[in-house]
Amino acid sequence: MANQQTLLSPAELAYLHSSLSLSPPIRPDGRTAKQFRPLTAETGILPGTNGSARVCLADGTEAIVGVKAEIEKTVDPLGGEHYQEYVKSASGAGGGDAEEDKRGARGEWLEMTVEIPGLRDDDAGTVFLAELLREALLADGEFAKKLWINRRFHWRLYLDIILISPPLSYPLPLLSLTTHLALLSTRLPRLKSEGDEDPMFDDDWEASPFLYPRQGAAAGSRPPITLLVVAVGDSILFDPSKEELAVADSALAVSLCEVRTQKGDESMEVDSGRELRLVSMRTVDPPSRLTPPGVPSTGNFAASGTFDPSSQKKQQQQQQRVEEYPQEGVWKAPLGGTRFAVLDSIIRAVLEKGGVADEVLDGLEGVDLS
Amino acid sequence: MADRRRVNGPGSSTLPPVYDDGELDAALRRQRAPDAIRPLYLKTGVTPSASGSAYLEIEPREGEHGSGMKLTCTVHGPRSLPRSAPFSPYMVLSTHVKFAPFATKQRRGYLRDSSEKDLSTHLETALRGALIADRWPKSGVDVVVTIIEGESTRQDAVERRVEEWDVMNVLGGCITVASAAIADAGIDCVDTVSGGVAALVASKDGKDASIVLDPVALEHESILAACCVAYLPNRDEVTNLWFKGQLPSPASCNHQSLVSRAVQASRGTHGLISASLSEAIGSTQN
Amino acid sequence: MPLDTSTYSLALLRIDGRRWNDLRRLHAQIHTQDAADGSSYLEMGHTKVMCVVTGPAEPQAGQKKGTVGSAQATGQKEGASIVVNVVVAGFSSVDRKRRGRNDRRIQEMEITIQKALAANLHTHLFPHSTITVSLHVLSQDGSLLAALINATTLAVIDAGIPMTDYITACTAGSTSSYAAGDDAADPLLDLNTQEEQELPYLTVGTLGDSDKVAVLVCESRVQVSRLEGMLVVGVDGCKQVRRLLDGIVKQKGRKMIKEGAVRRSDMMAVSLDD
Repeated sequence: MANQQTLLSPAELAYLHSSLSLSPPIRPDGRTAKQFRPLTAETGILPGTNGSARVCLADGTEAIVGVKAEIEKTVDPLGGEHYQEYVKSASGAGGGDAEEDKRGARGEWLEMTVEIPGLRDDDAGTVFLAELLREALLADGEFAKKLWINRRFHWRLYLDIILISPPLSYPLPLLSLTTHLALLSTRLPRLKSEGDEDPMFDDDWEASPFLYPRQGAAAGSRPPITLLVVAVGDSILFDPSKEELAVADSALAVSLCEVRTQKGDESMEVDSGRELRLVSMRTVDPPSRLTPPGVPSTGNFAASGTFDPSSQKKQQQQQQRVEEYPQEGVWKAPLGGTRFAVLDSIIRAVLEKGGVADEVLDGLEGVDLS
Repeated sequence: MADRRRVNGPGSSTLPPVYDDGELDAALRRQRAPDAIRPLYLKTGVTPSASGSAYLEIEPREGEHGSGMKLTCTVHGPRSLPRSAPFSPYMVLSTHVKFAPFATKQRRGYLRDSSEKDLSTHLETALRGALIADRWPKSGVDVVVTIIEGESTRQDAVERRVEEWDVMNVLGGCITVASAAIADAGIDCVDTVSGGVAALVASKDGKDASIVLDPVALEHESILAACCVAYLPNRDEVTNLWFKGQLPSPASCNHQSLVSRAVQASRGTHGLISASLSEAIGSTQN
Repeated sequence: MPLDTSTYSLALLRIDGRRWNDLRRLHAQIHTQDAADGSSYLEMGHTKVMCVVTGPAEPQAGQKKGTVGSAQATGQKEGASIVVNVVVAGFSSVDRKRRGRNDRRIQEMEITIQKALAANLHTHLFPHSTITVSLHVLSQDGSLLAALINATTLAVIDAGIPMTDYITACTAGSTSSYAAGDDAADPLLDLNTQEEQELPYLTVGTLGDSDKVAVLVCESRVQVSRLEGMLVVGVDGCKQVRRLLDGIVKQKGRKMIKEGAVRRSDMMAVSLDD
């Protein structure tokens, strides 16, 4: 994102990079490598929506997510009138198996928009964020099934994400957590009609079931969360601030969902049954590639004060070398990609049992859902 | 999204009937070895007016379901930034990925939709890592990839969910073709980046899962997860990683093997890029 | 008809049970966001808006060219320029409707607010700078422009930008439609969506306790004879709103003085909680 440029000098960038590469890393705000910034969250703030949430990070960034649902007629891909009947007869069984029918659920039923102040809503960066969050939600294929009503109708879910404050850091974790909470608080009216007739719904909002049920067999399943992790040198940092992103060697957005393993006895081990599963990841272009480079004093004639033509060749060679190899204490934007070993250690750190993801999920569980 | 400036085709269309066989017939199934990628054709310098260009074609399948992907890429620049643009110590890279309106089953509009913008961002990430951008301060370069023919065939009208996996293949192709075009334009890179895709596919009964390189979604019963990488072989580094899907077993090693297979696929395409580029050099010298 | 003549003339109560000169519940918070220079949250009935003020700050490179969909005062070299952005959330109305930033109605509201601010802020104190006001509509139920103006006033006060006085706004309508041709129609104060759709109304904004009108928008057809009554009721409503907003600002001020001994960082944590 081009507007993410920070106003740090090359010397500051180099200092920050080297202090973050230490073991343990020293972060500008004093956090440990795996510590998240504190946040305040509330859900159900907008009665006019099916579900909503608001999250404020301690640095002042704030996001609001609202979920709205509409009923839509399912259009079959072939455009024919009798497709559904045709499929029904083709499946032979008389169409009793709802699970089988739900296979027709499609990811297009979820529409997601991200609104960031100062950016156009069709800006590539905004679209990238929206697609990233959408992909994580749909990756396991279970989400679209929740929107299925019957063979002829489905819910269309609109998820609007608004960042209230100007983006002070890459807003991905914030938006992801807000979306998570909004979906947890989302309710859809209870269906009264049966089978394939036109859907009729219960007027009583109190009776409406949650999109992610809290009771019964399916209880405990929750929407995925997306974490942003950066690698600086050998250290892996979670929830990077803007300054930390500006010196990151690589940034990876990792989405994971929580799978509750159903054990024989439901009453025990409710919490220990959590198992984290990777659903999607994407590398994010680190803004560090756009930071201004520093000039080493060996290559700076103004600093050395002399210009000796005889040493010109030597200096050229030196310059060549400087271009190829980074020098200690001189900032240079990272070049090339990331070794897979680094990416892999990021993924391991995310998926680690009792690690950051667990901590974040535990924190989110503590949010009072209304 | 109505585009009033151009004469557009009819809004709705009639489709010939597609019979749902229920199962994939044997001719449709993957016949390649799991670790074989499809043959590719790559040629650079196809557009004389651009500073660099390349054309990539993936060999179509035999038979009626056959359709290979065809992509072109043009690179414009490096050229000086417009006066109004702020100073940049680096080359400013902008990427555009666009499906031709007739490339897929569903007609694409002239305006870029969100999946195309998303692909552009992926491509930008993949290329930016490879370019040595500080050698061209105050200049910009545009990379334009056009998908002339997509991978989806008639069959996908029924199997709609195939499309989301095809996007990975499209990105892999975009990375490869853009890398060749950048090399053709003579822009300094640390290495030629190449794209590779690997997928975890379930067998017919859904029990065994195996990893295949260069997957074609139509050839498989279902794809569980897929991964696309942009890889720099000589540095052994990944500039872009895109993974999505569901890994069945809790053993977390699975993502590693998937990525390493994708890397293997991109090594294969890298061989093609270098062969094509050296051929181009050979022909200019003679 | 929300104001079915029979019901209204019988009990003189509107559909939500208010009398003709009742305001809806007005609830507001000031300084809702730590990172912003000024911020506020305002509810007028079910209309909910948030406002964030940034600046006065150095104009950003991108803004000079005129960002899309923002109202901007140009040619004000000697004073600060004011940029107003209104974002209407897709989920704000009953039926989800997505509005682009180039939507005419939104642009018009941006320009209205921007002009009202430009006339009443002491922009000459901040030459070569920009004051950015971004407004987010979370829920709408009538009197949207009025709510936006009130929220902006609070946020500008929070940002500490000197201004001549409060700009407060509210809507006023008339009990029967234009077609009814009823000259004896009563004026109404603070309309909700249902009433706005059926009845002629106007939005009026005044400056402080005076009768000086800063904003006046009337987009519906109404007999001239009724206009005066509507305007009087509207201006009176603005004074009520001003009293309420003033109370909120004073309450916040009192709180800040009480906590004056506390460090600034601690104060922020407190203000987040409430």
